[in-house]
Amino acid sequence: MTLNLCVLTPNRIVWDSEVKEIILCTNSGQIGVLPNHAPIATAVDIGILRIRRNDQWLTMALMGGFARIGNNEITILVNDAEKGSDIDPQEAQQTLEIAEANLSKAEGKRKTIEANLALRRARTRVEAINIIA
Amino acid sequence: MSCSNLTMLVSSKPSLSDASNLSFRSVLNPFQLPSQNSSSSATTPSRSLISPLQCGLRELRTRIDSVKNTQKITEAMKLVAAAKVRRAQEAVVNGRPFSQTLVEVLYNINEQLQTDDVDVPLTKARPVKKVALVVCTGDRGLCGGYNNAILKKAEARIAELKTLGLDYTVISVGKKGNTYFLRRPYIPVDKFLEGGTLPTAKEAQTIADDTFSLFVSEEVDKVELLYTKFVSLVKSQPVIHTLLPLSPKGEICDINGVCVDAADDEFFRLTTKEGKLTVERDAVRTKTADFSPILQFEQDPVQILDALLPLYLNSQILRALQESLASELAARMSAMSNASENASELKKNLSTVYNRQRQAKITGEILEIVAGANALE
Repeated sequence: MTLNLCVLTPNRIVWDSEVKEIILCTNSGQIGVLPNHAPIATAVDIGILRIRRNDQWLTMALMGGFARIGNNEITILVNDAEKGSDIDPQEAQQTLEIAEANLSKAEGKRKTIEANLALRRARTRVEAINIIA
Repeated sequence: MSCSNLTMLVSSKPSLSDASNLSFRSVLNPFQLPSQNSSSSATTPSRSLISPLQCGLRELRTRIDSVKNTQKITEAMKLVAAAKVRRAQEAVVNGRPFSQTLVEVLYNINEQLQTDDVDVPLTKARPVKKVALVVCTGDRGLCGGYNNAILKKAEARIAELKTLGLDYTVISVGKKGNTYFLRRPYIPVDKFLEGGTLPTAKEAQTIADDTFSLFVSEEVDKVELLYTKFVSLVKSQPVIHTLLPLSPKGEICDINGVCVDAADDEFFRLTTKEGKLTVERDAVRTKTADFSPILQFEQDPVQILDALLPLYLNSQILRALQESLASELAARMSAMSNASENASELKKNLSTVYNRQRQAKITGEILEIVAGANALE
């Protein structure tokens, strides 16, 4: 039985092919999906998606969204997705540092919300690279 | 003998303002100089007519050249805009699988949540005290009334809010809007954002983040999106859409409270018909039959809705940006094609005048030669 994964962002299709297994970051923790998984719908947190393709693990940074699993079809809708291999490590590290600095400077409810979101995104991108290494 | 004959010829037709006569006389002037005292009062007005005419030919030529250059530029801009419209259309098509799936899922979850009383921050309708207006303008001019139309709409909306006694703030997207609001410091602007050449999810995300934090932190109670709806290549319409609070049914309402059902999504498509660009709009009624009825929710349905609605917000903003861009390019295309038409007409008129004057000058020269030959006989 084959499992098909489809990762969609508002402006393009990031991934649309067969996989063996994936590990997904949901709002209630990580879940692994193998073929013939029960149909579920889940919210996807800002975090890492790990994809196994013939004993090879790939990582992808997901920026929050939604996943639908059923009938051996996984559809993930996210705001933005980046393959770990496509992220520039230096740039990601810098962004993380800037985000950390911004959070410590943030005042007021609104600024804190913004800074927190930015920090989580930056951290995920850095993590996506580090898992490969 | 010859000299007196010529002066007689001139004085006999002083009232003629024919071009041939004028150029003829200008050549005659040096001959006339010694005996000018008597007829000076008669010749001065005609002499003032001579000089613009003599330069007229050269001036006309430079004018024709400059019109030609302008026409080339407007023609090129028109072609560039046409090519870009096609790219904008591609971007819409690329975003289609996403928005289609999203609408499908949202629709289904709403079906299941219809009975529940959902409480999601983005859907919370509070009594409105302050409204945020997201105004999408273009980055460049030369596109007819496109930027003006949307800014006028914004001004009208601001005036409306003022009469209602509501507070407001503006989030300006696009360079034209930025300069407009910077010149009017009495309008409170929350943020200036740049549009960029092709709107991507990143730009939409920036706007979404901003509106999201404004709304969740309860600084504003309503977010409205002002953009230009792409109706066809020759028609676009500035519209107002309420972005937040999102109705949990996945509906967006315009300012009159008329609901636009998200499940009935419209996409515009450019096609060529008989060699001309035309626009097709097709409403996509999403099929929902393939959605498994035994689907389980991993989390609380409310949490899932919480994850879905920001996505929906983003895709709405992205779509608005894409439509605005398409409208801008279409407006530029028609403005530039009008400009090219005007230029070619102006060129035609100028060339006619130029040719006439040139012919008049030649006729004058021939007359002069003939008259000279006659005088010698």
